[in-house]
Amino acid sequence: MTLTMSRPSAPAGARRGGALTGTGTLLRFMLRRDRVRLPAWTLGIALLMAYFVTALRTVLATPEDLRGMAGFSGSPIGALFGGPGYGYDALTIERFLAGQYGLYILVGAGLMSVLTVTRHTRAEERSGRAELVRAGVVGRHAQLTAALTLTTLMNALVALLIAGLMSGSGFDGAGSLLFGAAVGAAGLAFAGVTAISAQLFEYPRAASGLAGAVLGAAFVLRGIGDMAATHGSWLSWLSPIGWSQQTAAYVLDRWWPLGLSVAFAAVTAALGYLLSARRDLAAGLVPPRPGPATAAPWLRSGAALAFRLQRAQLIGWSLALLVAGLSYGLFTQPVIDGFADAPKELLAVMGGEEDMLAGFLGLMGLMMAFTVAVFAVLSLQGLRAEETEGRTEPVLATAVGRTGWLAANLAVTALGVLWLLFVAGLAMGVGAALSTGDAGLLGELVAGHVAHTPAVWLVLAVAALLYGALPRALPLVWLIVVYGMIVGFFAPILHIPDSAVNLSPFEHIGEYPLEDVSVPATLALTALAVLVAGAALAAFRRRDIICT
Amino acid sequence: MTTSPVAGASVPAIDISDLRKNYGSVTALDGLDLQVARGEVHGFLGPNGAGKSTTIRILLGLLRADSGRAAVLGGDPWADAVALHRRLAYVPGDVELWPNLTGGQAIDLLARLRGGADPARRDELCERFDLDPTKKGRTYSKGNRQKVALIAALASDVELLLLDEPTAGLDPLMEAVFQTCIREAKAAGRTVLLSSHILAQVEALADRISIVRKGRIVESGTLTDLRHLTRTSVAAVTDRPAGELAALPGVHDVRADGVQVRFEVDGEHLPAVMRRLGELDVHSLTANPPTLEQLLLRHYGDELARANGNGEVA
Repeated sequence: MTLTMSRPSAPAGARRGGALTGTGTLLRFMLRRDRVRLPAWTLGIALLMAYFVTALRTVLATPEDLRGMAGFSGSPIGALFGGPGYGYDALTIERFLAGQYGLYILVGAGLMSVLTVTRHTRAEERSGRAELVRAGVVGRHAQLTAALTLTTLMNALVALLIAGLMSGSGFDGAGSLLFGAAVGAAGLAFAGVTAISAQLFEYPRAASGLAGAVLGAAFVLRGIGDMAATHGSWLSWLSPIGWSQQTAAYVLDRWWPLGLSVAFAAVTAALGYLLSARRDLAAGLVPPRPGPATAAPWLRSGAALAFRLQRAQLIGWSLALLVAGLSYGLFTQPVIDGFADAPKELLAVMGGEEDMLAGFLGLMGLMMAFTVAVFAVLSLQGLRAEETEGRTEPVLATAVGRTGWLAANLAVTALGVLWLLFVAGLAMGVGAALSTGDAGLLGELVAGHVAHTPAVWLVLAVAALLYGALPRALPLVWLIVVYGMIVGFFAPILHIPDSAVNLSPFEHIGEYPLEDVSVPATLALTALAVLVAGAALAAFRRRDIICT
Repeated sequence: MTTSPVAGASVPAIDISDLRKNYGSVTALDGLDLQVARGEVHGFLGPNGAGKSTTIRILLGLLRADSGRAAVLGGDPWADAVALHRRLAYVPGDVELWPNLTGGQAIDLLARLRGGADPARRDELCERFDLDPTKKGRTYSKGNRQKVALIAALASDVELLLLDEPTAGLDPLMEAVFQTCIREAKAAGRTVLLSSHILAQVEALADRISIVRKGRIVESGTLTDLRHLTRTSVAAVTDRPAGELAALPGVHDVRADGVQVRFEVDGEHLPAVMRRLGELDVHSLTANPPTLEQLLLRHYGDELARANGNGEVA
């Protein structure tokens, strides 16, 4: 009936439309596109929290365990990687979960928002799809509005899931609801930030990169603030992550800091709308920076190109390992104190009670070896992507030989492995020396890390062989890394037989300083790596290049 | 260079015989033969999937042929790849660039990997093709990526250019620049293998043409040679009725409308038909040589009929 009644005026009214026309349709379309991504993100964050709950309940089973944790987490290092430390004088599991591990859930929600908003705004414009959409009956602000609505829905879902999970785990209902809301509010704040950054740059990666940098700055600001004073200082209050943590769920249960988050989200989103009205579709407010018109003189060989293509990754990994190494290193003393009365199984992984320090440092070296092995595999996968995306073809059509091309790439990665293990050992060593006051640890840690190089080289060589012979099978190399991790970390707990343990290339060199470095193993692994790499080159020489 | 056999000017630039290549159960090349002489611009025509790119990639040593023989500048493209690549340049049909390198960096890199290029020539080509070399690879449109590869190839001092549909995505103005550059390359004594389905381009540039279909060469020769195999379209206004022409050998599709007559005539019968037409007191005459579209239609007519008006020849 209404339809019939309004029909005479419909043409004029419907034709005019507003800046928001089409928002609903776009939102439904985004939900359809994200039908896998949306549950993956929201459930993923909830599952991470569920994991924390289960793990901490196992590790911190007794009040004594909790008291031991409180001392460790209340330290400045604990505050940097945890939070302002509300309620640590009478620590409970839920206070510890919200106060120490909640930080990573907040960061997760922030990342989810940054990537979701970018995906549905700037990435759409960059791909040209937004042009098609905007040519339809769609208002100027519909896309941004629909993207922000979607992100708000996702954050609300995360908030509800976390709240439900926590109260379902038997924790206080009101506190659980507040904790969930704090997670959602942090997510909203970074959706607002991304609404601005998406207007600035033409490239999705630049837009999400800037928003990600703001997220990182928010993390660091509240970290410094929380280290400066118990319950945080004024610096903590400059960070959207800080606001969520200042709700002090399960302790003070105050809601008002979330008002700051919501206001921040509203103001940033409004600014995003304002900026988007001042630019053309697909253009950025910051014009793209031109690069050099000519290549640097050194960029003139296959090896130089291999280095140039891996340079950004090498710098990024170096920085990440530097930060990770330093922070793990700085944890050395608190960890040893904190775990002094941990369960026997946990101690066994670290090398036993007698030599906790050497055990912890040796284990860290092994962990860094796995991390650098991930770098090695990713770099080979990058090489495969170069080929499948059609960039290897023009290079091999020049006077660059196949063998030389693959050898150069492997050499760059192999040297990168050595360099990254050195950086990780150095950072770990500096941190551990500062933490324990024992300067001798610096040299031990550098040696202990670098010693793992041949094992990682063997992983790299196997990856190269798969790439050279059967590129589609390249992901199989992850099996070695994962198997090595399981054996390396859990062999004592899982009672894995020695014969199975010895299958892992990471188990032969020795976890220095707990164990001695085995020279025969080092030589044998290096020789094996060289042999396998040689086979990889021979196989690559014989196969067809993948052409699109 | 040490592994490269003698490469005197007497050796053909490209010499392929009975080349075969399968991808699983799919036959890409089915006994392909191709000869390209030194200094000629050779048009390599065929629809998508006919085997043009596969042939060129075998000539580059990127793919290995299952059987048959292929020689590039007198060398074996698989065994002597590096030595040969110093003497040739390649432009793929779908150029991908490194997202973080600028166009200028990519040009320099590709040219240097081939053995170096003249910087002045490179800058001149950038200007002629109207390319901004300071933009990052990920920001270029398809046409601009194509220009990067073209400039890198044309700036190099090489004997052979292997161009696989090199101007896809270029606008007509740039197409004209490209044609000038190819003529200059020919004048400089370079050999060009130009794979294309832009028929006007091949018509304008190629000395000889090979038409490939389903992995085999179905026709090869100069444009003139091939035109002999086809029909000329004639339209004439005559004083006397011209319906009788239909009875002559080699004449097809006669449509007489009063004084006007249109028909098609096979190349070999053209002289006789023209003499007869002259006797009918011609007032006006238009004769159109066959276009390459018609050449292709002859070879792919069956497929086109099946495509049902899709009109896409290549």
